[in-house]
Amino acid sequence: MIRIEKERIDEFIRALMETWSVYAPARDGKNTLFAPVEDPAGIDHGIFNTDKSPKEIFFPHSEVLFEFEGGEIKKVERDARPIAVWGLRGCDARSLRLLDKVFGSAWQKPDNDMFEDPYWKEKYDDSIIFGTACNEPRSTCFCNWFGAGPHDGAGMDVKVVDTGEAFILDPVSEKGKKYIGSLKGWAEATKKDVTKMKAAAKEADKAMGEVFGMDGIQEKMADLFLKPVWNDIGAKCVNCGACAFICSTCHCFDVQDEGKKGKKGKRIRIWDTCMFPIFTMEASGHNPRDMSKDRLRQRFMHKFSYFINNYDEHLCTGCGRCVIVCPVNLDIREVVREVMACEA
Amino acid sequence: MTVKELRETVKSLLTEGKVDLVIGWGKGTMPGTSTPVFIDTAEKADSLIFDSTCRNNLSVYFTKDRRALAKDDKKIGVLVKGCDSRSLVLNITEKQIDREKVTIIGVPCNGVVDMKKVVGKVDGKEILEFTDDSKKVTVKGREFELTFPLDEVISDSCLTCVRRDAVEYDLFIGEAREPGSDENAYAEVEEFEKLDSEERWERMKQEYSACIRCYACRNVCPSCYCNVCFVDQNDPQWIGKSPEITDTMIFHIIRNLHVAGRCVECGACERACPMDIKLLLLNRKVAKEVRDRFGSITGTGLENKPAMADFKEDENQDFIMG
Amino acid sequence: MSEWQPKILAVLCNWCSYAGADLAGVSRMQYPPNIRVVRVPCSGRVDPLFILKGLQSGYDGVLVSGCHPGDCHYISGNYVARRRFAVLKPLLEFVGIEPDRVQFSWISAGEGERFAEVVSKVTEDIKKIGPAKRLVKGA
Repeated sequence: MIRIEKERIDEFIRALMETWSVYAPARDGKNTLFAPVEDPAGIDHGIFNTDKSPKEIFFPHSEVLFEFEGGEIKKVERDARPIAVWGLRGCDARSLRLLDKVFGSAWQKPDNDMFEDPYWKEKYDDSIIFGTACNEPRSTCFCNWFGAGPHDGAGMDVKVVDTGEAFILDPVSEKGKKYIGSLKGWAEATKKDVTKMKAAAKEADKAMGEVFGMDGIQEKMADLFLKPVWNDIGAKCVNCGACAFICSTCHCFDVQDEGKKGKKGKRIRIWDTCMFPIFTMEASGHNPRDMSKDRLRQRFMHKFSYFINNYDEHLCTGCGRCVIVCPVNLDIREVVREVMACEA
Repeated sequence: MTVKELRETVKSLLTEGKVDLVIGWGKGTMPGTSTPVFIDTAEKADSLIFDSTCRNNLSVYFTKDRRALAKDDKKIGVLVKGCDSRSLVLNITEKQIDREKVTIIGVPCNGVVDMKKVVGKVDGKEILEFTDDSKKVTVKGREFELTFPLDEVISDSCLTCVRRDAVEYDLFIGEAREPGSDENAYAEVEEFEKLDSEERWERMKQEYSACIRCYACRNVCPSCYCNVCFVDQNDPQWIGKSPEITDTMIFHIIRNLHVAGRCVECGACERACPMDIKLLLLNRKVAKEVRDRFGSITGTGLENKPAMADFKEDENQDFIMG
Repeated sequence: MSEWQPKILAVLCNWCSYAGADLAGVSRMQYPPNIRVVRVPCSGRVDPLFILKGLQSGYDGVLVSGCHPGDCHYISGNYVARRRFAVLKPLLEFVGIEPDRVQFSWISAGEGERFAEVVSKVTEDIKKIGPAKRLVKGA
């Protein structure tokens, strides 16, 4: 564990920037997001949880897969340096781990041959994640529903705790240990720091709302699939994609070609969402999820049923972004409560 | 109007069988929020509220795939602010809603709160408690409590609103006020018009580059009800789906033209935007043109034809090459 | 080096403006070769999306032309179109598209000379403001 006094944080980030392409929370106009760092002074260490989720660092809203001209296919060159993310909260760090199960090799086992997405892997595999422990969780946070907590280090390589006067860097993974071990010129964290860290963790835990038990939700969801409860839950949903696009775990996408047909252009991968009717529109014109409530149900089925079947975890980490942006205040926590309260 | 009056009115409508369902607002899950509720029994009516957090335009629930709501035999009641009632009127004149089947219940609006403005008042700190009356708002958080006039935090669309109470209703809870004058309604538009062309483009680009193409603006809009929106058409696919600036701008410009003479400037789009884009500026520019050129103000009368479906033979055509 | 030549999209109604262009042609009138003509049944058929799509895909300007008011083959198509353009043009200018980039005119089947004049004028105007940059994809 090393200790970085707050006034020296820019120095630390600058050193990091020599070998890594660093992303950190920043303000862009009216919103906050993870942006490539050009000047460490531009990092906003006080941002609680960015408005836009950090999934876009590794899974951009629109990503050029390749360019083509005539019969030639050209790979798109990207920054060759590995990515370092600074200031990621625990919920987001775990989100990236979930996405790695889908796109990367986290779910690769000897008996299954999972497809690994090269575009994800080239960015995520070599990356290092500096996570920030939350000292002041918000009322919309519910990471504790998923067995995590504001000071949880899962999904991070190095956990960073703000003790007021300093950042304490606590390595979590092997990669993190190796990196922290390689650093020179930083003091070890003192006993006093450790006491402060523990106190902060305790305070933060206290600030969290009550845990809601979600045992058995995946079977429950499956049983309720055809039940009218979805009419009630889905009644107010207006079917926009705000929740899915700011979600740190939603990862559906569409692939399109842009440019002159067959001549010159690029193939891009763009975020898509089950909330849009065109997501499931078939060539015949038939849409299996024709009604707004069908599409809403799909989003929650994916999060709390299908994903558990496939990857053994909920596809939600309790970051609370969708709770904040939903234009009709359709609160994911209420949906879970309603589902759990419903007799199958 | 008191909340009690509101609930009692809805209860009696339901028990007397005058309506089968009432769409209204209930308390939301975060401070300063409300959420649309669907009341079909008298007991449920106790969850109804009306205050400055009731920012959704509930007329949207008569459109899109809920169009059937107002077409089948159910009698629907709906709570409306001034702007919401204009949306209903528009939908009625466009034959989307049968006037006979909807019971319009007006409630007196003093403007709805824009939570982004409230959060700005407390330097971005988290708000844990929110209370309001028709004049002021009080917020509490960790280690602060602040009270300020409601007018300082209402949505931009409410600041210039001159029709706060329903223009068309079956019953009104309280006393409906007469509309004011909209002489100075478009000062913000006029300010923007004064900038030079390049500056305007740069500002637009800056503003709209934040768009994530979630279509929340379109989906909360009661005037946007095409069966298949042009952005969802893929044969031909009119515009790209990525958040590239020209595609994004074209989406917003065309959406504005599609609601030209149909937009009631309720501001629901702007409040729904997760990226806080000032969407209404374009709508208001269009509304100003529609008012000045065609003398039409959307949704103010059941007998009015929507401006873009109408014409006069001898109209101003100063924009046509001489 | 030769002078820069704009590419202009001309959307013409079948009954008047297109016939006007035809007349200009058979009368051997000279006008700039910068326009690419798209024939539509009526100016009322012109969706603003066509115009924006034209600009986005690299046209430096757009000219839309229909029958004079009162002469529409479909009685009122051009009246409806006129309202649409009356809102579209100020809106495009509002977002920062140069005023002369998109223009509208009425040209009858008998006005071959006028057609040549309009095309010359539009081409001159667009040459003056230069190549389109705003709203052009990939610019």
